Amino acid sequence: MDRHFDEELQKVKKNVLEMASLVDESITKALEALKNRDLKMASEVKEIDHRIDRFEIAIEDQCIELIARHQPVGTDLRFLIGVIKMNNDLERMGDHAVNITGSVAFLIEQPRIKPVSNIWSMVVEVKKMLNDSVKSFMNNDAEMAQQVCERDNVVDEMRDETIRILLTYMLEQPDKIGSAIPLLLVAKNLERIADLATNICEDVIYIAQARVIKHHAEEQK
Amino acid sequence: MIVKTANLNLYYGSFHALKDIDLSIKENLITGIIGPSGCGKSTLLRVFNRMNDLIRGVRVTGAVLIDREDIHSPICDLILLRKTVGMVFQRPNAFPLSIFDNIAYGPRVWGITDKKTLRDIVERSLAAVDLFDVLKGRLKESALSLSAEKQQRLCIARLLAVEPEILLMDEPCSALDPIATGKIEELMLELKRKYTIIIVTHNMQQAARIADEVGFMLLGELIEFDSAKKIFTNPSDKRTFDYISGRFG
Repeated sequence: MDRHFDEELQKVKKNVLEMASLVDESITKALEALKNRDLKMASEVKEIDHRIDRFEIAIEDQCIELIARHQPVGTDLRFLIGVIKMNNDLERMGDHAVNITGSVAFLIEQPRIKPVSNIWSMVVEVKKMLNDSVKSFMNNDAEMAQQVCERDNVVDEMRDETIRILLTYMLEQPDKIGSAIPLLLVAKNLERIADLATNICEDVIYIAQARVIKHHAEEQK
Repeated sequence: MIVKTANLNLYYGSFHALKDIDLSIKENLITGIIGPSGCGKSTLLRVFNRMNDLIRGVRVTGAVLIDREDIHSPICDLILLRKTVGMVFQRPNAFPLSIFDNIAYGPRVWGITDKKTLRDIVERSLAAVDLFDVLKGRLKESALSLSAEKQQRLCIARLLAVEPEILLMDEPCSALDPIATGKIEELMLELKRKYTIIIVTHNMQQAARIADEVGFMLLGELIEFDSAKKIFTNPSDKRTFDYISGRFG
């Protein structure tokens, strides 16, 4: 009946998609900057982050206006509340990408160390989680969102393994500690991005099925 | 077509119904006027096509400009004004005539007699309110046989037939159920592409849903006038907030 309201909801969805693709780009560029010790690319990530911040404000504004003017209920209400939350998660992901580039200037001064392949596997997995979380949102697909949540453990394990490898490396070659510590922080930031992708999926499940799965809420009932 | 008022005051005898109203209404937007009963919102609406002139003892001071022309000037053509500024009322007021004759009524008053031209106008006007496909086989039937929602659409189509520029709507959905209300609201959102719409409504949610700009009136004063977004998320005046949050009214 309320076709114009549906069009407004679609505009919100489109903005979330655009914001998510900027987040994806910022993560890719942050890792490229780190790999190539490229300060110019690191500053591009900061620029993208400003655009992500502007999206966050615009989407929040859109949602508040729609809630105030349309008094949505049911799925529409859950959609807007879910978007407000995932909007914040996407913005935080952008911040983590900036954190990753924070080490680039420092690393330029440090000797190169052997590649830590685990980190790059983590990047692949984390980006896949982000993309799948956004896809599940776009398709209102709770099943897909549930699968992404379950993959968070995989990333946690990858992070733990990366830390083990880096600690061993630092013990063996203390002169390379300066080069290795930033990579520990990268692993930590990637793991946080995966957590935030999981949060998005929890919101997708809430939007699609009105189920709250965070903090094991369903098991506690 | 821009509507402006400056220092507008209106008196019903000794009763001061509108107090120093300064207002600027932009074209191709829906402007909603909200406020509690008796605040003067319908009176304000009726100022724009001088419907208040029909009430004895009314006195108006200040300026009301439509497209930069003062509608109270002695040279203002009242009939042309009411053609340019059409009005939809609370209850559908279809004439006891056929659907076709309801729509053709205005154009005939304006001297159009050519049958093909009239048929074209009826088709175009009914199509604009999304009724032509539904009613094209029933144009000779009485307009009173239609549902309330369709009658209200018909009344809007009857306005459009004389090619107005501004549509005044005084509680146009108050006699309709929620589904019919939704349909009329959708229609208004479509019509604003071509027309400037000013709607008075008791239903605050309706103003929130469809209006681009909103004026809040209280005891004859225009307390606040701003974008619907501003009014419904962060009104400047506490009285506006108290009204929209249901604390009074």
